[in-house]
Amino acid sequence: MVTEVALTTDLAIILLSATVAGFLARQTGQPTIIAYIITGVVLGPAALGIVEVTELTETLSELGLAFLLFLLGIKMRIDEISHVLAPIVKISIPQMALVAIAGVGISLALGFGTLEALIIGLAVMYSSTAVVIKMLTDKDEATSLHGKIDVGVLLVQDIVVVILLAVLAAGRPDDVAEVATTLVVVLVLVALLTVAAIGASKYVLPPVFRRVADNKDVFFLVALSWAFLFVFVSDEINLFLSPFGIEAYLSIEMGAFLAGLALAQLPYSSELKDRVNPLTDLFVMVFFVSVALSLDADELLFYAEEAVIAAVVLMVAKFLIFFFLINWQGFSLETTFLGSIGMLQISEFGIIVGVAAFQGDFIDVEVLGFLTLLALLTMSVSVYFMEFNHQLFERLEPTLSRWDTGDEFQGGKKEYKDHAVVIGYDELTRNALSLLDQEYEDVVVIDRRTDHIETLQENGYDAIYGDFRNSIIRKESALKKADFVLSSSVQTEVNKALLGEVSDDATVFVEAKTADDAQKLYDRGAHCVILSAQFTAERLAEYLEAYLDNREVFDQAIEADIQLIERNEPFPDLAERLRGGLDD
Amino acid sequence: MTELLTTVAILFIVAGPFLLVANRFDLPTVPLLILAGIVGGLFVDEGQTLELAQFGIALLVFTFGVGINLSAVRTVLGDSELAAVAQILVVGSLGLGFGVLVGVPVEEAVYLGIAVALSSTIVGVALFQTEIRRNLVRGRLAESIQLVQDLTAIVILLVLGAGTLEADPIATQLGYGLTLLVMAALVNHYLFTLIGRLAGDSDELMIISVISILVVFIGAAELAGVSIVVGAFAAGLAVRHDPVEYLGLFNGLTSVRDFFVAVFFTTIGALIVLPFVEMGMTASVEKLLLVAGLVVLTAVVKPIVTTAILLYKGYEARSATLTSLSIDQVSEFALIIAIEALILGFLTQDVFDVIILAAAVTMITSSLSQRYNEQIYRAVADRGLLAGKHRKIDESSRVPEDLADHVIIAGYGRQGRQLVETCELFDQPYVVVENDPTEFETVRRECDAFVFGDAMERYTWKKANVEDARVILSTIDSDPVSRRLLSLGFDAEIILRTGDVSTALDLLEAGALYVTVQDLLASERLVQYLQALFDDETTPDALRERLRAEVEQYSAVRRQ
Repeated sequence: MVTEVALTTDLAIILLSATVAGFLARQTGQPTIIAYIITGVVLGPAALGIVEVTELTETLSELGLAFLLFLLGIKMRIDEISHVLAPIVKISIPQMALVAIAGVGISLALGFGTLEALIIGLAVMYSSTAVVIKMLTDKDEATSLHGKIDVGVLLVQDIVVVILLAVLAAGRPDDVAEVATTLVVVLVLVALLTVAAIGASKYVLPPVFRRVADNKDVFFLVALSWAFLFVFVSDEINLFLSPFGIEAYLSIEMGAFLAGLALAQLPYSSELKDRVNPLTDLFVMVFFVSVALSLDADELLFYAEEAVIAAVVLMVAKFLIFFFLINWQGFSLETTFLGSIGMLQISEFGIIVGVAAFQGDFIDVEVLGFLTLLALLTMSVSVYFMEFNHQLFERLEPTLSRWDTGDEFQGGKKEYKDHAVVIGYDELTRNALSLLDQEYEDVVVIDRRTDHIETLQENGYDAIYGDFRNSIIRKESALKKADFVLSSSVQTEVNKALLGEVSDDATVFVEAKTADDAQKLYDRGAHCVILSAQFTAERLAEYLEAYLDNREVFDQAIEADIQLIERNEPFPDLAERLRGGLDD
Repeated sequence: MTELLTTVAILFIVAGPFLLVANRFDLPTVPLLILAGIVGGLFVDEGQTLELAQFGIALLVFTFGVGINLSAVRTVLGDSELAAVAQILVVGSLGLGFGVLVGVPVEEAVYLGIAVALSSTIVGVALFQTEIRRNLVRGRLAESIQLVQDLTAIVILLVLGAGTLEADPIATQLGYGLTLLVMAALVNHYLFTLIGRLAGDSDELMIISVISILVVFIGAAELAGVSIVVGAFAAGLAVRHDPVEYLGLFNGLTSVRDFFVAVFFTTIGALIVLPFVEMGMTASVEKLLLVAGLVVLTAVVKPIVTTAILLYKGYEARSATLTSLSIDQVSEFALIIAIEALILGFLTQDVFDVIILAAAVTMITSSLSQRYNEQIYRAVADRGLLAGKHRKIDESSRVPEDLADHVIIAGYGRQGRQLVETCELFDQPYVVVENDPTEFETVRRECDAFVFGDAMERYTWKKANVEDARVILSTIDSDPVSRRLLSLGFDAEIILRTGDVSTALDLLEAGALYVTVQDLLASERLVQYLQALFDDETTPDALRERLRAEVEQYSAVRRQ
């Protein structure tokens, strides 16, 4: 029998406080993560002690982590990162090793034990995905070359994190041999799961998702179901292994990541990214708040002095290491500088590694406090470096110029500029496509139907699957840089948003249902509003007129239309056939 | 992983295949989520996800509040849809009566009445999307009936919070409810804009602040002892806003809602004590009989009663029947009411189970009745069960005796009007066929000749003297109507309308003289404009000025 349930006050307090803190952070230019962590510190036993970790908050924060990794997996489109893959791998692997060594060195110098120093070293080698990607997106530099390098390195780091978490989840080993066994078992399991994920993304998922992609609700929920399947299998891996007498642990993060990776290779991943994003934001917030919920002030500030010193040393070390390595790969001075300055902070994964290490009994809670404080300090400082990266570069350019290799790494994904964007592939827009194709080098079509996307791609158009309302989709089509935009959506809200986002020079054609809507759209800057219904009404009246008045003209007119209907081509060249007929 | 997360994971994993089935067979997702919950419930401890499910309920009602169109509410309440209220009362009483008859205590039978009376917006509207988009009479009608039902559900939930049927506590509840609504208006007016400004372009902050607002309202409702659902509804009203500015926010909320709503529906399924599996033989049979009764009431009696009421209100037979067939399921709001009542102890597990099972069954049967609605209507109409309709058509039509060599214009919308104007210009006799009662007055005022009847009926055409007609021009964008017209075998030439090229092709092959495809005709003009731009015959700004002037002129003419 069910009993009375009320929504927990704990969660309400967390939500409200984090929201307020989030706004404060926003106003002062700090990343929201900082606000959430501080909220946790303030609400938790370290300060006020009014909120405790409950099963609900714990579940939500676990979900947050799983979703964060799931999202990361979805972003891993192999074909998009392959071109910078070689330099990125060459940068990231030595970088992690060097930063880890620096981390171990400074920890030993600060008086930590060997195992602790090792864990600290492993925890500090990543830069913060959340901070860097957030800042890059805010500054609209995510697709710039230095942005791509940063994102690529972050992804490699994330893979290492995932494997490391799996090892840590196995708990404190007795000897080196056990570490090795654990590593091997974990690597084998990871490899198996990866093969399963990649195999599924090749053979199982395409037909399944091709069917469901057109159904918005089902699509999202089936993707979640897929993610939960991997999360569950990873978590309950022993259920499957015990018959073989093996015991091992996989992190739910690993499962979530691989589930995402499998989906990333499908053409529908951008749409999915946008749907998973809000859930991730919400749950990750709970995660960051709850990080400090179990930390006392003593624990957090136990190594305060050490944390400040380590923060300074590590940020300098990170900058130098990144600068040297990116420069070594032959990128220009500016790219090198901008790429390095962004990566100075200790990642939230550092805290996650800390939590896992603490739960696995590798370190004491004070060391976790140290890592949390370290991440907090470096994140806050690095945000300002990123905010003023260009100004800093201009200042320092004369000093740095002797490092200038003069090369510039070339290549990469096509970046749209002065192109045409078409929203919706239907009877209205498809007739205009061939004309646009003659006029513009790139024509990008956004549509929500998988069969349309396939037809478009087969015919050489750039097609993006997804809903135009999603910001990721708009960004992917480089709407802001488009020279021409045609929207066949009759929803005024969509078209208004579109008109708000395009550049002032762009020519915009949109569709509307009523004359009132059309006027509103003209007010907002549309150049042409297609009123299909009104136009059809006029046209039909003209046909009737011809029918009543001059049957021959009528027959000719409908003959032309009927031919068009009968041909039913995907990309008719209408301009060729519009000569003559009723209009003359 | 916490136990709770394991439970959520299992429910989602089980839901996956069920959702694929839903997609494969074009079924609504809600009943299949419930079924997934029933199956998942065998592996998990059902009470666990209840708290997350509460969020699902809150978000469901919350988004209903966000999406509600206040001006639509005003028209509906002020205007024609008293039918909806009558429908709720009649069908609700039948449900209550049935419950009492089979021995359910009156206090609980009330919930059976509610379950039978209310229909699902999620399922109904989703199934009826095309009809609503095409602005067909039955689409609009179904939508407003749903709206009245949903608002009724909110009021019921408010009253339910009082825990009694005494007048005083109910008045207090209504007072609190009103206070919440006032709060919502204040938040909407002052706080929300401020939040929007402070958040800048951060969707993340917008989403968490809106969720915070939701939580505050729920908290306030809890404090006042009102159902959290009412709080959530008020919170929805508090953040109602033109979605243009906050596209990211409203999209984000959909994701959050979909997640929690899935948890809600699966949880509901998991809560069911399964007949035969988890309970004894006799009890199971009794329960299933009750479910069957409820299903019959919802899927058979409710559409019949609704059709009768709509016919009485003056709607013609086909619109009335098809509308009624779109609301023949149990509402998700009835589920919310049931679970709230269960939690408050007003409802026993057995009656709760009956309501949930009936909901799952009727949501599925409803998608079937929707798919075969034309056939059902035809079967009923051919047996003369909707009698008296010819008399009605005769009464409300005006066709000159000597009408011949005329044009029949089906549908008096934008296109129909333009065609009538053309005919009048050429002194060409015509007759308009229309079935929307709200257009009736306009048609009578503006047209010389008209038949007020359904285009699917042979008698309507007979009345329009189709034998002597020159051409039939249908502006009705409906496949069944188009095909029916072609199959009736008239001598007159037929021009039809459809939305896509492949249907157009079919209709041409089936004998239509011509088929208008709106977007195709519009695209011809679009291409002309583009060509002019690219050939530098005009500039974008000059084009805008010209077209804008045209639209203004068009609107000015329409207004006269």
